[in-house]
Amino acid sequence: MSLTRYGYANAISGFFEFPTDNARHILPAGLEPVELHHGTSIFSMTVFDFTESEVGAYGEAVMSVIVVPLVKPGERLPKSAFYPYLVATTTKAARDHAIERWHLPHWMEDVDIRFEPQGNRLTAKVAADGAPVAEMTIGDYSWNPVSHLYQSFMRDGDKGYLANITMEGEQSEHEEETGRVRLHEHPFNKDLVISEVYDVPFREIWMRNGAQTFQPLIQLETA
Amino acid sequence: MEAAHKKKEERRSVFSDYDYSNFYYGAGDDPINLLGPFCEWYQEAKPNGYYLYSEPLSSAPATHVRVRNGKTGVVQDLLNLASYNYLGISYRDEVKQAAIEAVTKYGLGASGSPILSGTFDIHEDLAREVAAFKAKDAAILFPTGYSANVGFISSIMRAGDTIFCDQYSHASIVDGAILAKSKTVFFRHNNPLDLERKLGGVRGKKLVVVEGVYSMDGDVCVLPDIVDVAKRHGARILIDEAHSTFLFGPNGRGVAEHFGLDREVDFHLGTFSKSLGGQGGFVCGGRDLIDYVNAFGRSRFFSCNLAPPLVAGLRAGLRIVDQEPELRAKLWSNVAYMRRRFAEEGIDIGKSTSQVMPVLVNNDAKVFAVAEKIQDRGLYLQPVTYPAVPKHKSRLRISVSAAHSEDDLEQAVQVIAGVLREEGICR
Repeated sequence: MSLTRYGYANAISGFFEFPTDNARHILPAGLEPVELHHGTSIFSMTVFDFTESEVGAYGEAVMSVIVVPLVKPGERLPKSAFYPYLVATTTKAARDHAIERWHLPHWMEDVDIRFEPQGNRLTAKVAADGAPVAEMTIGDYSWNPVSHLYQSFMRDGDKGYLANITMEGEQSEHEEETGRVRLHEHPFNKDLVISEVYDVPFREIWMRNGAQTFQPLIQLETA
Repeated sequence: MEAAHKKKEERRSVFSDYDYSNFYYGAGDDPINLLGPFCEWYQEAKPNGYYLYSEPLSSAPATHVRVRNGKTGVVQDLLNLASYNYLGISYRDEVKQAAIEAVTKYGLGASGSPILSGTFDIHEDLAREVAAFKAKDAAILFPTGYSANVGFISSIMRAGDTIFCDQYSHASIVDGAILAKSKTVFFRHNNPLDLERKLGGVRGKKLVVVEGVYSMDGDVCVLPDIVDVAKRHGARILIDEAHSTFLFGPNGRGVAEHFGLDREVDFHLGTFSKSLGGQGGFVCGGRDLIDYVNAFGRSRFFSCNLAPPLVAGLRAGLRIVDQEPELRAKLWSNVAYMRRRFAEEGIDIGKSTSQVMPVLVNNDAKVFAVAEKIQDRGLYLQPVTYPAVPKHKSRLRISVSAAHSEDDLEQAVQVIAGVLREEGICR
């Protein structure tokens, strides 16, 4: 299988402290959460504005737990790894594609995603079933071209998968603690103890005018 | 030629794309899988600025030091702005003489655990003198400051208890909490409102841990507000005064004394490695507390006791601190001078109000080049960058000492301001 490329105009990520107990509740056996501090793990929300893909343009929200990457001798070291426990898309075609090809767990209805720029900040608003589920705002810092390798772990039934993903584009990354997330009580957020997710991201990453490229999926041995 | 250039660019991107945090976690089937990627990165990182860490000194940590440059190997005479020797005590004649006499009398080491054969008469003397200095009933000694936090916290807290730590807590506090197996909750730095929010509704044994002076930012704990919140929620308070004991307060007892909260704070911890220029840690409190920690402070009694010559030197240093309050006055005069001059030069030192001053570069890509230039112009200091501080909060950390002369400090300001201007960090 060849590489799969998704072009985007904007991809914003907020990284939030939340209890390791919550992270472990979300993660399947065999995946370890990365701890920011002892007892504190990292929940991340990424919202994409995809402009080109095999299934056209669409929006996507990815709710993840940051996990320990898989390191293999002689292979490029990933910047970090994540376990997307819920992905939501604005189109059925995008959802069917990601489930079939990447075994990603999805919210099974179309969601509404709106990006609202304001100065050097960008807000992404996600709604499901006509109700708001999350609003996240992040700000920019300085912009630099990057090409970073990440790992995404997936589970589908008793099978485990790994995707190596390269994120290319202009990147702004900072820890100014100027962003914010508002998570609403909604079945979409049922895996999170919302009151224990710190609403200010300790890190904000904004990428624009770039591409997310998936290498062919790797099936992992699972216990 | 072009291929070589491309290869060089690829290698540079390997260095700049990663930092220490990328080499901590790694799953796989061999515990040494991370060694290869780390060493490949470090090979690039070291000549690009990481050589500035652990450059060997071949002199006392006085105001001027001899340092072997980590890149060139050349020994340089530099003005020292990096050592913790806040009162210039470690190399005082009285201290050295006391250590010499002790090594003649006792030999090199204690040769035993403090609860078995490693306690000497001078250990008891030092503990008694430290307790008297801090106006407490008793004190207990630990081999290092790290060991004091790890040993004390894990001696009084257990699984099922909750420890509330400032998000900028020293690693020894975090490791103590891990060893205690208690639930650990981090509150926003120096933020009593967030502490209050996190204490709310928590039952059982609760310990709030703060530091008198935070070592990366040099800011002072907002202790009155922290104490108020902790008391209202029935939490005990531990203050780590590693960077504030012997400096703050009318008698030099620390930040708790500075705020008149000596009695409100339950547990007082300090180190001998900063203001006394030695090594070791201690906890002060009531006799019952000290007896209990003596029984359950594992980091202490599973270590060899402090070396007798060191203890003798610490006792001499403590006498100096007690008898020469003018040293503290000189330190605070130097701190005021540096704060004023940095402000005049437009140099940002954040929220520091202590002898620990972060010169904020706020540019992770430039901080090593800035530090390298500064060292080349005669100053000894280290850059601090992510993950020790948040991304883009990189800085040069300065330790002001009572031993610095005004000329020393002015030289430091001139060099730092000159380099920061050249690099576009300040106007």
